[in-house]
Amino acid sequence: MPTGERVDIVRRRFGNGEGPRFALVAGVRGDTPEGIRVAHKVCAHLQEHNSALTGTVDIYPCVNPLAAHRGIRRWPFFDQDLNRRFPGRANAHAPDRVAYRLVEDLQGIDQLVEVRGAHSAFTEALQAHIRKGDDNSLEIAKHANVEVVWERTPGPSSPSTLVYQFRDSIVLEGGTGNRLTSGVANDLTNGVLNILNVMGILPDECLPFHWAGVARPSVVGDDSVYRLRSEMGGLFLPKVKPWDCVKSGDSIGDVVDPISGRQLQNIVAPVEGRVLALREQPVVLPGTMVARVVRVEPNV
Amino acid sequence: MSEVYRLDAPYRGAYKLERLTFGSGSPSISVVAGLHGNELNGLHTCNIVAALLKMIRLNGTVHIYPSINTFGMDQGTKRWPLDDQDINKAFPGDPEGSAVERIAHALLESTDTDICIDIHSASPLMREIPQVRVPFSGKEVEYARAMGLPMVWRREGDRLDTTGLIGAWRSQGRAALHLIGGRGATLDVAASRTMANGIMRLLYNLGVLPVPVDADENKVDTTKSGVEYIYGQVGGFWVPEVRVGDEVKPGHLLGKITEVVGGGLLQEFRAESAGLVVTARTYPVVHAQELLIRIAAIME
Repeated sequence: MPTGERVDIVRRRFGNGEGPRFALVAGVRGDTPEGIRVAHKVCAHLQEHNSALTGTVDIYPCVNPLAAHRGIRRWPFFDQDLNRRFPGRANAHAPDRVAYRLVEDLQGIDQLVEVRGAHSAFTEALQAHIRKGDDNSLEIAKHANVEVVWERTPGPSSPSTLVYQFRDSIVLEGGTGNRLTSGVANDLTNGVLNILNVMGILPDECLPFHWAGVARPSVVGDDSVYRLRSEMGGLFLPKVKPWDCVKSGDSIGDVVDPISGRQLQNIVAPVEGRVLALREQPVVLPGTMVARVVRVEPNV
Repeated sequence: MSEVYRLDAPYRGAYKLERLTFGSGSPSISVVAGLHGNELNGLHTCNIVAALLKMIRLNGTVHIYPSINTFGMDQGTKRWPLDDQDINKAFPGDPEGSAVERIAHALLESTDTDICIDIHSASPLMREIPQVRVPFSGKEVEYARAMGLPMVWRREGDRLDTTGLIGAWRSQGRAALHLIGGRGATLDVAASRTMANGIMRLLYNLGVLPVPVDADENKVDTTKSGVEYIYGQVGGFWVPEVRVGDEVKPGHLLGKITEVVGGGLLQEFRAESAGLVVTARTYPVVHAQELLIRIAAIME
């Protein structure tokens, strides 16, 4: 730092090194405290059961501490989204150097999981994202205690993300942007511990829950996820909650004029399914996403 | 003046994408500025050019877009202030996507001209000499040289990123020129005038303008190998000894990084090559390994 102060990026390592190697990364952006909380809870559990582990578990609780310090998405001063700087550069400014060193440190990993919360304007149902074609991660993600495993086709910004740098990678999301919601970190922590069990790293007797209690997710592709957008400028007032069941034609919410409260648009579900993501921050423009609905069987 | 696109917004009047059109027929040229709301030199360049073109009969068409990101401009932000998205990473855009995707789509459709110019400033932390960046070879190099700006920089990068306007134009087969000059978050009047003169020289060279413009100022015509990059090793307080536009010889003192508390010398920088200072760090607080100065070899 300009004042001479040092900022450390910390990795905590657990296990005996005689088995698969797993890494959990949180805090790539500074407005996802849920992910950081999951990292702490996993660390606490592994600390207690360290001698029972077969393999290596590397936890990086927060790789963007200056952003987390301010509760903002981007690395401050440089104003950069760390999750658009990968694979990074060795001799460059701090965000690029951190990206580079993290990728270097993670070489040889058998499974990477990045834990986030949600985008700062949204609440997300518990979900796992994997890259379409990553069949290993698909199988693992089914044990992550989430409602949905979403196989996603990479988009134009994917190559500059952390998870794209590794063949076997999963992103976990849940909760509301930039806050902690009771129960979310607990559910995702159980999911991570379950993954460690399925990989043979954490034995059955060290799991803090019964395997039958783990959620069985629906597996969906891009064509089952519908983005609902406002066509008007105004305030979005939802009528549903995240993970609510909806039928085709049900009202998800209204866009109203911010001064008069007059309804400008009724946003309806295009298919039967569940609300995967819901906008919490109500100010919308034409084109702003207000919800995602995922087409799943109603009895899920 | 015509309105190319409009987006309703809550709590204020609509967003409008506006352009000024001069002349008619072929060839056609688009000049775009203000994709980033805190880069103002291009806006001034556009208005200087518009004032001149008002008084002349043209053999061709010129469309001028002085300010794309008007909401960013009036709030002093680089990106679209409502969702912090960069319009210059949203191309080719989507007429049914988010706000920035809609704006990008409308702009790309509207600038269907033979030659397209995108004007930027450096970030608010740096200053750049007025320059035009083009690929290594082709018609664009000819146009760049015809502008007679202090620097022509032949580099491939912009063409390859199709999420940016330059890359999007090139992928549509349009000749695209990337102009940069001055510092962000400021008005560099001289740089704006230099860039305006460059555009006028190009219009004369194309036969659009019937009257010649002043002699050109071209000093540098180079690729990356002709540019010396100077990075600081440490963080501290940067005190420069040179400015953009200075000519230096080897050994010339460029500046110093000093201790924030007390001003003690941490690192001194001297030119290794002879040339023109084309890039300079203006903001004095520096982190480790930030770019401070670029010196480019002057043509014989």
